[in-house]
Amino acid sequence: MPPFPSVIPAQAGIQAPFPPKCWLAFVLVLVMYADKQFEAIAQAIPLRYGQAISAAKSIFGLPIFVGEREGFFRREGLNFKIIIPIPGGSDKMIDALHDDTVDITHVAVPFLIRAALNGSDAVAVAAEFTNPIYSLVVKPEIKSFADLKGKLIGLADEAGTISISTRRLLAKNDVNNGDFRVKIIEGTPTRWNCLKRGECDAVPLGQPQDLIAQKEGFHVLGISNDAVPDFLYTVTAVRKSWAEKKRQAITRYLRGLGTALKFIRDPANRKSVVKTIVETTDTPADIAQQTLGLFFEPERRVLPMQGEINLGGLNQVIAFMAEAGLLKQPLPNPERFVELKYLQAAGVK
Amino acid sequence: MGMFMKSLAVRASMTATLFAYALLVLTCAAWAGGEGGPDDHVHDDGPNYFGFVKDTAGKTIRDAKVTADIKGRPSVVARTNAAGAYRIPGFGKDISPNNVTISCVKEGYKQTKTLLKTRPSKTPPTAIEIECTMQQVKAK
Repeated sequence: MPPFPSVIPAQAGIQAPFPPKCWLAFVLVLVMYADKQFEAIAQAIPLRYGQAISAAKSIFGLPIFVGEREGFFRREGLNFKIIIPIPGGSDKMIDALHDDTVDITHVAVPFLIRAALNGSDAVAVAAEFTNPIYSLVVKPEIKSFADLKGKLIGLADEAGTISISTRRLLAKNDVNNGDFRVKIIEGTPTRWNCLKRGECDAVPLGQPQDLIAQKEGFHVLGISNDAVPDFLYTVTAVRKSWAEKKRQAITRYLRGLGTALKFIRDPANRKSVVKTIVETTDTPADIAQQTLGLFFEPERRVLPMQGEINLGGLNQVIAFMAEAGLLKQPLPNPERFVELKYLQAAGVK
Repeated sequence: MGMFMKSLAVRASMTATLFAYALLVLTCAAWAGGEGGPDDHVHDDGPNYFGFVKDTAGKTIRDAKVTADIKGRPSVVARTNAAGAYRIPGFGKDISPNNVTISCVKEGYKQTKTLLKTRPSKTPPTAIEIECTMQQVKAK
């Protein structure tokens, strides 16, 4: 006997499992269901998310890319759209909230603090990245920190934690301000280009570019985490005045973000997360796999569990900024720069 | 003779495009305080999109929002500078210009058309000029 019947029931004259009337009812139910789905899409709340151009092809967009690609924001009833404002740069993201280019935005904490102290009503509503791993990658001929004296180092905006933590790493290894030349370059992909074309002698790189660089023969002298305590790196920010009118949109976004962060962390989803990294950062799969290994094996607290904001980590950023001469005493309280009620409403503790 | 005239026309068109692009890069750099320079994006990221936003009389419009909608990717939003010019960096060499839609908005105006000004060529373009035209609408 063959494993499957070679003739389908209708052809064989066998009665179909449902009479024709039942089929009609089934089709009607299907049409009504599809109609409801279309209605849900039509009624979805629009939400424009600002992404810095420097994050668009880096690992720092991962929670958002996963949330979008896996449909977590859509499932929350959001018509979620990622928007990259031009001219970009970390310091422009809060401006994009104020000129109505976006509704919510990704921003590195120091730039949120600076904008808030200058009068913006922007606040953090969720953490996106907590302890980024930045590797100080150098040309192959540079063998030690001492070799960096007099050399050109490509740093990010001086007001940001990348530059602050890199300078700390250098100082810890007896390379102090004034011992090296600086070029300010926003974004890991752009700094990586500066190193590749030979202009920069050393640059701090995030993933996956630091892993790619090592594969191509460049050295890593150290990582930023060796020089700084835990801190809050990037957050989602909103204007308080806008948020008060759009509570539902924010709560739904935070639920979607929380789901994305849990999804990334779950080893069962590793294949899918690797695929997202490969497709959004133009990275080979083995490097994407290594990146996740670096984040989670062992756990390095690079990503928050569900978007929760660690006020201690925020306070650490304030301390960094004070140390870099960007803030003066008395230092502001971290509570001033956050609004936690939306996370609570989304069920995140 | 026909071939010569055609070649002349193509050259004139290329010169005009290059001139417009050079003018735009200069004006954008001045407007953005240097932001948007060569280090702002990777050079193998496909063609830049640039152009002017004008009203129906041909007058340029400053501070208009120009959006590049890219199929399956994030949108990119730029604003026109004092000369009414915009520039949007490439989004990836794998993205076909056919999958990019440019639109413009400004309060008090509605978009009437966009015009592709870069002629198609056999080699992949490094910059694509698209002009966006808007009509002034009366306030309600």
